[in-house]
Amino acid sequence: MAGAGAIWVHGELTGDGDLANISAEVATLARTLGEAAGRDVVGIVVGADPEGAAGELARYVPRVLAITEPATADHAAGTIVGQRIAALVERDGPAVLLTGAGPEGRDLAGVVSALTGWGVLVNAVAVTWDDGPVVTMSVFGGKLTTTSRLTGDHGIVTVRPNVVTAEPAAAPGAVEAIEAPGEMTLPQVPIVDRLEAAGVAAPIEEARVIVAGGRGVGGPDGFKVVEELAAELGGAVGATRAAVDSGWIPYAQQIGQTGKIVKPALYLALGISGAIQHKVGMQTAETIVAVNRDPDAPIADFADVVVIGDLFEVAPAITAALRARKAG
Amino acid sequence: MPYRLTEDQAALRDAVRILADEQIAPRAAEIDRTAEFPWDVKDLLASHDVLSLPFPEQYGGLGGDLLTVCLAVEQISRVCATSGLILAVQELASLPLLLFGTEEQKQRWFPDLAAGRHLIAFALTEAEAGSDVAAARTRARRDDATGDWIIDGSKRFISQGSVADLVVVFAATAESDDTPRHQRLSCFVVEKDTPGFGVERIEHKMGIRGSPTAELSFSGVRVPDAHRVGEIGQGFEIAMRTLDRSRPGIAAQAVGIAQGALEVASAYARDRTQFGKPIAEFQMIGAMLADMDAQTEAARQLLYKACTEIEAGAADAGRWSAMCKLVAGDTAMRVTTDAVQVLGGYGYIDEFPVERMMRDAKITQLYEGTQQIQRLVIARALAAPR
Amino acid sequence: MRIVVLVKPVPDTASGGERLRPDDWRLDRAATTAVVNANDEYALEAALKLTEAHGGEVVLLTMAGAAAPETMRKALAMGATSGVLVSDDALGGSDMVSTTRVLAGALGAMEYDLAFAGADTSDSGGGIVPAGVAALLGLPYLSYAAKIEPDPEARTVRVNRITPTGYDVLEAPMPALVVATQALGEPRYPSLKGIMAARSKALETKALADVSVAGGDGPVGGAASTTAVLGAEAPPPRGATRVIREPADEAARQVVAFLAERRII
Repeated sequence: MAGAGAIWVHGELTGDGDLANISAEVATLARTLGEAAGRDVVGIVVGADPEGAAGELARYVPRVLAITEPATADHAAGTIVGQRIAALVERDGPAVLLTGAGPEGRDLAGVVSALTGWGVLVNAVAVTWDDGPVVTMSVFGGKLTTTSRLTGDHGIVTVRPNVVTAEPAAAPGAVEAIEAPGEMTLPQVPIVDRLEAAGVAAPIEEARVIVAGGRGVGGPDGFKVVEELAAELGGAVGATRAAVDSGWIPYAQQIGQTGKIVKPALYLALGISGAIQHKVGMQTAETIVAVNRDPDAPIADFADVVVIGDLFEVAPAITAALRARKAG
Repeated sequence: MPYRLTEDQAALRDAVRILADEQIAPRAAEIDRTAEFPWDVKDLLASHDVLSLPFPEQYGGLGGDLLTVCLAVEQISRVCATSGLILAVQELASLPLLLFGTEEQKQRWFPDLAAGRHLIAFALTEAEAGSDVAAARTRARRDDATGDWIIDGSKRFISQGSVADLVVVFAATAESDDTPRHQRLSCFVVEKDTPGFGVERIEHKMGIRGSPTAELSFSGVRVPDAHRVGEIGQGFEIAMRTLDRSRPGIAAQAVGIAQGALEVASAYARDRTQFGKPIAEFQMIGAMLADMDAQTEAARQLLYKACTEIEAGAADAGRWSAMCKLVAGDTAMRVTTDAVQVLGGYGYIDEFPVERMMRDAKITQLYEGTQQIQRLVIARALAAPR
Repeated sequence: MRIVVLVKPVPDTASGGERLRPDDWRLDRAATTAVVNANDEYALEAALKLTEAHGGEVVLLTMAGAAAPETMRKALAMGATSGVLVSDDALGGSDMVSTTRVLAGALGAMEYDLAFAGADTSDSGGGIVPAGVAALLGLPYLSYAAKIEPDPEARTVRVNRITPTGYDVLEAPMPALVVATQALGEPRYPSLKGIMAARSKALETKALADVSVAGGDGPVGGAASTTAVLGAEAPPPRGATRVIREPADEAARQVVAFLAERRII
């Protein structure tokens, strides 16, 4: 049985039943913490067909519990997975359950917390161990970072994407198929249809490079230069709220206070003023390059490099320079 | 009085500010240049319920108090004094009916006014009766057979007189020359299509050029007695009580103009560099801007306090009303003049709005009682035996 | 149709004045004006559109401190019919567990067909409270909605849930709890009519004692917090910005060199 005081990590599944990238990152974090703290590390995957993802998660942690739950194939997963995991953590009493801080992880954390009464430390950008998880969180649009801990012996931590680089363990761990204890009582919500939306591949929070367009792009056609530069850099396309509200680009690509919070290695901002509601979404990017006509735009205060110019001239020039570099 | 605006007053001020900045400001220069009444702005104000602020809820208005109406006038005037005047005049001219009208009169006219479908103007001034209101020569004679009144005469400098659907007219009804001066006048509502009512001229003005200032003529204009507002001979009292309540609206316009000019001047001083630095950092400019800000704020706070006192039925409402208009008008003139000064040569050309604001500001020292009349009102209150 | 919308007053980010109290590391809610959490405005807008189309009313539910009525008036000015505010000194400094239990308790005493919540809060919310509220009340939980289609006759609701590849269309019977996202559409500016009308709309205040808190008998509030802040500090500054004012081709060359230097390409 999993040791009390263990570190558990939730393995999230993609729509195709694979392990989500964020779970590989969080699992790496879990393993690192477990080694430093001398605690057992256990992964947990709940799905209709969990073996593949469980096996993948086992590359990162020594032991993975896999629960087969057919209902997740065609029902909203969060409530179902949450109940199963809540029952298990109550039985086995790990010190902490780590999840991703994306939509799936949050839904899960909310359900587990409500059913167990366990506290939650959210949006971790770093986690260390001191007889329990110590979590660093960025607040107030990045003006401050806080350090927090749980007051009790058990709790949940949600971890932001791109905070840890996924790194498999030296040797893969073992997968154990188990039955979850207890009954599920919460209503299950069926998925009656699945719709594809064009143009969004991986969740933008996971991208290493993001090229984003703002009001300066001027319209949906303007986004072509953004897309070309993103493609050349192998990155994702992002946008500000202004661009999304104007209908130039889907909401899934919005970065900022009411969109996604991202931490890519490179954030390239085209025609973006850098107002606070957008800034909070991207200011922890490792490198920020901005192109803007206005030298007084707020983004010029916190970017690493700002090019004062017309994005419709500069962005294609960068794309061309990158191509030339690849060729030559 | 709570020393801060309530949350809905602040919310309303902010909502009108956004409307003014986004939809009225872009039109301001053109309105001044073409000197055409901005029907589009009037429609905008109507559709956003701004024009319904002064009217009671049971007639389709929003039942805003005096301060609320002034908050709206101030925010609009910040970007366009002509546009701010649309609301201020709608309020001014409706006050005789609000204060002295019968229920029938209110039900007849207020719904269209509140909806902004109709405009109303206030016709008191004449060529020979400006400050001396009681000297008005426009006459209203009674037709004893029908009880109707026949109005003859002419009014001058009537704001929005040529675009109004209703005109509130003050005419002499005194039968004999022995009637005391202050009981000579009565008040009537004339609907614009009444035969005999005409617009003789529109003035070419220094400022508020989009607001048509008209000379109105009355030639045998017949109105039923039901269009008389208040008692016979009560006209002067109605006019004075109206002005007591409407002067804050002009003060609000003045404060708005001053604020608009201050904002343009401050922004300019931050951006304009001479001798290696923004001119805002030079003490002479800084001192001017500081005085402009302090004086505008002082005028604003006096206005808000005056509105609160007048709304509460203070016995010295007339004094508050005169004071806020006196201070605000002089402040607007001073602040806009200094704003032009801060911009230097650029302040004199129409590339920047401050020259227009300075021209607009002057009227606030003239209408709804000249600054000299305001001083008389205040001085009389001080001189009156205790 | 009756829709309850959970709204939270949060510090106005645009003011830049957010602070933690140095003595207990709690958010200093007096330091800035509070606004309705941006995501909650989207939820409220969605609710207003639905009640305009189907008839009914929108009721706000908030757990917040003493200054909350001002912020709720703004939400009432947008068009909500009335509001319920749970406010109590003991609730100051509540963690997410307490907030979830109190909101679930308050919501459980109300009648509604749908309950909406915003995706997360800008004052460092983790986006987990709505899921917890649904779990405590046994409500069907439909999150990350890009589209909400109720069927009042059939008493069901359909939601398009945002996924990395598109949408899962979920369906559940009413009453249900839906988490709204920005994809539902821009919130309206309050009209002057709405602002003036908000003055007289009902805002009921409840103390903690008036709420039958969900999730057991354990205490709630700041004293019962399951998490504790140990400290706060400003992050290390980013470093000087390099400004390039060259023509496009030269600027591009310098940017590419910079990216190579940083090993991004």
